Amino acid sequence: MEKNIQLNPQELQIQGLLDRYLASRNTMTEAGTAHIDEDSLSAFVEGTLNAREAENVTSHLVDCGFCRHASAELIRLELAFAEEEVPSAAPSSSEPTKMSEVLGRLFSKIFGTADGAVFAHEEKTEGEEKAEDEDEKGQ
Amino acid sequence: MNEDLQRHCEEIIGQMYARCHENAPNFGVTHECFSSSLNATIDRFSSSGDKTLTIKDIDDLLGQIQADDLFLAIACANGNERAWWDFDHQHRSYMERVARHLARTEMDATDIVDAVYEQLYGTRIVDGERVSKFATYSGRGSLRGWLRTVIWHSLVDRHRAGHDEVSLDEMTENVGEGTAHASFAEPPVGGETEMVDQITRDRYRKVTVKAIESAFGSLEDHEKLILLYYHVENLKLREISRLVESEDSPLRAWFQRKSQTREKNPAGRIHESTVMRWLEKCYAKVLQSFRTQLLSEDGIKDGEIEICMQLATQDLTGNSFFGLLTASRTASDVSK
Repeated sequence: MEKNIQLNPQELQIQGLLDRYLASRNTMTEAGTAHIDEDSLSAFVEGTLNAREAENVTSHLVDCGFCRHASAELIRLELAFAEEEVPSAAPSSSEPTKMSEVLGRLFSKIFGTADGAVFAHEEKTEGEEKAEDEDEKGQ
Repeated sequence: MNEDLQRHCEEIIGQMYARCHENAPNFGVTHECFSSSLNATIDRFSSSGDKTLTIKDIDDLLGQIQADDLFLAIACANGNERAWWDFDHQHRSYMERVARHLARTEMDATDIVDAVYEQLYGTRIVDGERVSKFATYSGRGSLRGWLRTVIWHSLVDRHRAGHDEVSLDEMTENVGEGTAHASFAEPPVGGETEMVDQITRDRYRKVTVKAIESAFGSLEDHEKLILLYYHVENLKLREISRLVESEDSPLRAWFQRKSQTREKNPAGRIHESTVMRWLEKCYAKVLQSFRTQLLSEDGIKDGEIEICMQLATQDLTGNSFFGLLTASRTASDVSK
């Protein structure tokens, strides 16, 4: 706690009392509601959550030690990276010629699979579907 | 939502989509997809309060949306290659710096970024659809702020997975409020006079505990939160002032509600000294409420308040008062 707050003797006493009282509260008890989701938490930390939603979040943070601690850590982190340069939101004009390579490398590292498996979610081509149909019929 | 409001939403969303599409025509995001994401945010916003939504509410909400960030996130959630390339190009090194800042080792940082990429891409398939973490981003904060939060949570989950026997609460307790549970050291009791003295002291202590609890409880939530940030989470004034830096911050607006300064300069920068004043006001409020509670509820006389304060202050040098607070809280929890 910083010591530069100027208080009269009684306020100083109450500050000390409050300090110990707050530390002694069982603040890790979870609030009755679910933890705050990452989307709302990050918006709250950036001060961009509107009043209507911020009211519920603030109330939850008073009761939930986990979410409050998370928010405090994120405030510190936000400040630490505040001076980072924000890049332009507009995409660059160069073509992403090696994107498959980038994603392939990344996901083969994560999943230990070959590059091709990365795009396993992609829709099959008409030819591939026909070939599969024929295979199934053959079986 | 009535038809006029619905039409207004559609109009604004249409304008936002046109701007984003112009900025990133290769992302392959359809109007329907963009609109669906924003309508989900509006629905959520609508259900967060009892009041009926107005056109101004919608304008404020949509006006705050980081539309280009949201557009990029939707495109990535859809698996658009161009969008992934842009995302990687714009944010990967930033994510690595954040992870390095939080993680203990370089290897941990790299692993975390990879794990976050895995979540962002989505490896879970539900009803034949890949579930990307990007789908949970609403655009209410910046994409980078959201990424910081996702990285932080990933680190906590990772830590938790490596410490199966430790619950998340225990872990964060060790981080944040580790010294919170000391035992109550019973002072030694001597002869009859000392016993009477001890009974009196205990009475004062009990009413003091009750009064401080009640005084804190009488504060508004934003006042309680700032005190908790300062005293429990040990946030510095500078860090708290950063939290309320945005002119639109509701926390800032709540503190400035009755302030003359706000009318003169509502958009002024919040300095550490301002946060300090807010804290001072909170202490003054707690003190006032504390005194009122002792005088009116507990039958303590004006002169005795000083004794209560002095006793509590003396006890603060050790753990006895602190222990009594914990004991009192436990007893009241049990009685519930």
